Parts: sequence; structure tokens; C-alpha cells
Amino acid sequence: MNGGTIADRHVHPATVPLRFLKEAPSTLLGLPAAFAYLSDVGWATVLSFAASVAVVMIFVNWIIWSRFRYGVGPGEIVIEKGLLHRTRRSIPFERIQDVDIERGPLQRLFGLAKVKIETGGSGKDEGLLDSVTLAEADRLRGIIRAGKGAPSLGAEEVPRAEPSQLVFAMDVGRVFVSGLFNFSLLWIAGLFALLQTFDDWLPFDIYDPGRWVGLVDQRIAGRFSTGAILAVLLLALLLGVVTGVARTLARDFGFRLTLEGERFRRERGLFTRTEAVIPRRRVQLARLQTGPLRRLLGWFQLYFQTLSAGKDGGGHQAIAPLANQSEVAGILEEQGGFRVPDTSELTRVSSRHLVRTVLPPLVPILVLAILFPLGWALLAALPPLVAVALLERRFHRYGLLSDLLFVRRGVWRQQLWIVPVAKVQSLRLSRSWLQRRLGLATLAVDTAGAPAMNAPRIVDVREDRAQALAAEIAARLRAQDSGRKSGTER
Amino acid sequence: MIALERGQLGVMRVHALIVGVFIVAVALVAEAILHTAVADLVFGAIGLPVLLLIAYPVLAAPPRRYRAWGYRIDAEELHIAHGVWTRVETVVPLARVQHIDVSQGPIERNFGVSRLVLHTAGTMHSRVVLPGLSRETAETIRDEVRARIREDTL
Repeated sequence: MNGGTIADRHVHPATVPLRFLKEAPSTLLGLPAAFAYLSDVGWATVLSFAASVAVVMIFVNWIIWSRFRYGVGPGEIVIEKGLLHRTRRSIPFERIQDVDIERGPLQRLFGLAKVKIETGGSGKDEGLLDSVTLAEADRLRGIIRAGKGAPSLGAEEVPRAEPSQLVFAMDVGRVFVSGLFNFSLLWIAGLFALLQTFDDWLPFDIYDPGRWVGLVDQRIAGRFSTGAILAVLLLALLLGVVTGVARTLARDFGFRLTLEGERFRRERGLFTRTEAVIPRRRVQLARLQTGPLRRLLGWFQLYFQTLSAGKDGGGHQAIAPLANQSEVAGILEEQGGFRVPDTSELTRVSSRHLVRTVLPPLVPILVLAILFPLGWALLAALPPLVAVALLERRFHRYGLLSDLLFVRRGVWRQQLWIVPVAKVQSLRLSRSWLQRRLGLATLAVDTAGAPAMNAPRIVDVREDRAQALAAEIAARLRAQDSGRKSGTER
Repeated sequence: MIALERGQLGVMRVHALIVGVFIVAVALVAEAILHTAVADLVFGAIGLPVLLLIAYPVLAAPPRRYRAWGYRIDAEELHIAHGVWTRVETVVPLARVQHIDVSQGPIERNFGVSRLVLHTAGTMHSRVVLPGLSRETAETIRDEVRARIREDTL
């Protein structure tokens, strides 16, 4: 780009009092208390000191504001900031992955919005405009989006967003139900941590099971009766439910997913409204997830994996926090014909998976059993091991149907990955020592923005089938890449 | 599959040797300390078992690991295989490569080999490393791949 873009715009002046209000509680409120504690000066002195600190803070914020400029030029957005060490950052439109608009409670009060420009890089605050008017935020997003298609658009003649079509929305009741599932065990953990802290003061050792039994038997020390402990546990449970619901309500209230031309737009949040835009062609894969209780009630969670690492869960964007089967199908249909396959369409992995999972723990058990007579009791662990292995295999299926690779996995937390073959970055076929003896292999497909732990992998599929599947995916990538090549040359 | 350059075997041996020497040094220090503390400790009570334990990884493993490596490149893909206990085969479609490095460490320079690092947009194994190529081969592959790198594959 021509590098001559002039950064001539400031963010909204209300940002100065806004930042001040945001920082005030942490810096200003502590001051009077500190002073009152340190010396016995009068309140008037303390207040005047606080006022002078406030003036300095506002002045500093004003300087920061006045030195922060941005501008939009042909094909790029430029941000200049810094008092002594001036930095000028230019972000070409092609590199921009997402433009998010976020509105906290204070910003909503002032009619402002925070614009976050995300590029593929992993750094934070790559392009943060804090804060501009809502109209300006919309204008910027319009320019950036339009600019990505046609770089020579003037600033003022931005086409308004295409008519939006509602794809999915959650009412308050649904968000509430979703919150019930997000029950957090954190409170119980916290309670036990607390108990541990006050361990010395308690008349018993909480980690001594004998004491626990004794406690139940004799109800020693009066105040810690079984009833009291049950009540505390119940309270923790209740708090877990309440916080789960509260957190989910704050995050997902008014969840709306709309489709505007080629982009999904997601709005959600009670106090802080966030707005994320997910271009359809940037979706790397879809992941459908359900837990045991959710499954029983027919609920699913849908995520799209995008390239940029958003703050909520890496490149995973929640597309539907709680949706039923037909809603999921509806959303997936909008994403270029994604779909949930029927179980009969998918193939199970090899039955030798059973041997592969049971053998490694079985060998040490047998060795122990031979060495120590009591070791035979360990064989009791065998039935559950076998049961888990069988269940794992029952729920682990895969299939390459038209242009989509499906991987279904998980017994407790069932997941289905829908990977468009075109988005596969590389393939990896691995065979451990035992897998080679059994003629098995694990096939992992790598996609952009994939998390390290929870990526689609097909484990313990027969080696020849894994080879064939990898070859088929590679062949389709070849066909596609050469097709695109000739397409662009024409 | 094409085998790696012989020089890479030397690199692997040196790498294993460095680790081995370090472990033996630690064992000897431990032995010396214990020898003064425990009077009736037989000399070599720690050093000998340690020597036996590291004999395989230092002496026998590098050639096996070296033989396990192999690669094949055609117009569209790079196939890499490695791993003695766990065999891993990686397929990188060349059109998916984002950028590409040829690098050479001091030990590698000594043995006249280079390594090729392919970066894809994936995250699990975004760096696919192919060591043990001669400088010319690495550069030839790099130029071939570079011709195929496209700006926007995402």
C-alpha cells in the first residue's frame, strides 16, 4: 500500500472521562483509606489530594487521547499512538480476520463502542479503537469489509450491510436453561479450599476418612453434625447452579445469530454487548457437542472454528450455546451445506481398539498378580476397562461423505467434527508400537486455528483404511488446488 | 522413500552423545558426593548402571532413528515418515504451505546437512520439519515449494 494514509481521526472525546471512571475505583478509592490509616490528617486534606490525583489522571488520559490517532486509507487502516515513542501501525484490509464491536455498560451509556480489529497474528490489541461512536464503528466495519472485496472504495460511499436474516436466537428461558447446564463445581472446590485453610481451627482432620466416619457415628463436637455438613454441601451446590446461570445470562443474554450475505453476525451479552462477525469462508470446521444430560433432552452446543484466536476459547466461536436438532441442522445448512450425518452413514473404528486399550493396563496387572497373590484382586478392574473400551468404540465413528469429513468421538462428552476437506492443512498418520502389531493407525487432520488438545483425530482405524482415507483426502486437496490454480489463471 | 543424507546420522549421534555425556557427568558427581557420605559404597555403584542404561539411547538408537526417516516429494505433496516406536507419516499438500525455512545449526553445518521447515496454517503440527538434507536439495525443494505457495489458502 502507499503508506501515505493520514491518521487524522481521534477516538471519541468521551473516552477521557470514560477511562477515568473505569480506573477511578482501583486507584482513587484506596487513597483516602490509605491516608486515614497512615496519619490523622483531616478529611479535607485527603479529599483535596484525591481531587488533584483525579485531575492528573484526567490530564494523562487526555494526553493519551490526543496522541492516539487513526485513519482509513485505500486498503489499510492506520493507528498512531504513543507520547515519546510514537508508533505507527498499518493494518492492510486483507490481513484483517474479524472486526468485533464490543459495548460495555459505560460505553452504552455514552453511546460508544469499542472496535477490535483482529488479524491472524496472536498478539493482543492488534488494532483496538477504544472508543468511538456506534455510527463510526459501523462505518469502519463497513469500509473494512467492503475494502476486502474492492480496495478502491471511498470512505463515504460504503454500502450498507446486506439485509440480515435471522438464523438462530435464544430467548431468556433458553439462556436460563443453558445456564443450568453450565453448573460450576467451582464452589464446592472453593468450599473445600476454605475448609483446608481453617483446618487448624476445626476439631477434626478433614482428610482423615476414619475421622469422617467417626464424625458421622458420634457426632462429635456438636456444631459439625451430619446435617450441618449436608447443608453446607447443598449450599455449595445451589451456589454452583446460581453462578452458572448468572454467568451464562451475562454472557449469552439476547443471543442472536444472523446471516448477512456471506457473514454470520453474532450478538450477545447482558451488561457487555459483544458483536462478532464470522465470515462464512473463514469457518475452518464445525464442532457439535453434547453432554449426557443435554443429549437426553435433545440439546446441542455448536461451535465454529475460525482462524483468529478470540478471547473466548481460542479460535472457537460459540454459534449456538443451546440448540435442538432442527435448529442445529438449520444453522449448519447455512454454512455451505454442512450437515449432521446419520449414524448409519459413518463407519466404526476397528474392533481391535478393544485390545489396544485394554492390553497396556492388563500387562502390569498380570505381572503384579504373579508376583503378589493379592494382585489378582486387581483383575476386578478389567470389566470396567473393557466396558469403557467398548463404549468408546461404539461412539467413535468417522466418514468422508462428499466434501466433508466427519469424526464423532466421546462417550461422556460426545463431539462431532464437521471438517470441509478443503480446509485441511496437513495429514498425519501415526502408528504406535502396539498399533503396528495390531495393524491399526491414528489419522489426525490439522486445520487452521485447531486447539492442541481437542482436534479431530480418528483413533485405531484399520491401517489400510487409514491409508486409503488419507490418500483420498490428499487426492481431493490436489484436485481442488489444481482446479483453483487453473481457475485463477484464466 | 528417499533416505536422509549420511551426515544426519552423525548429527543424531552427536546430539545423543551430548545428552549421554551430560547424564554421565551428573551420575559421576552424584557418585562422588555419595562416596564421601557413605563409606562402604562400591565404586561404580551408580556410574555403571547409568552407563548401561544410556548405552541404547546413545549407541544403538541414532542409527535406528536415522533409518526410520524418509521423505518423498512430488509435484503436489511432501510425504515425511519418521519414528522408531511410533511410526508417523505426515502429508503436507504443497499448496497449503504458508512459508518455508531452510536452517542449519552448528552441528549440522559440521556434517554438511540442512533442515527444511514447512509452516502451514494448521496449529497442531504447523511446523513440519525435514532434517538431514544437503544444502542443494533443501534449496531445490524450497524453490519448488515457493513456486506453489499461494497467498490465500484459508
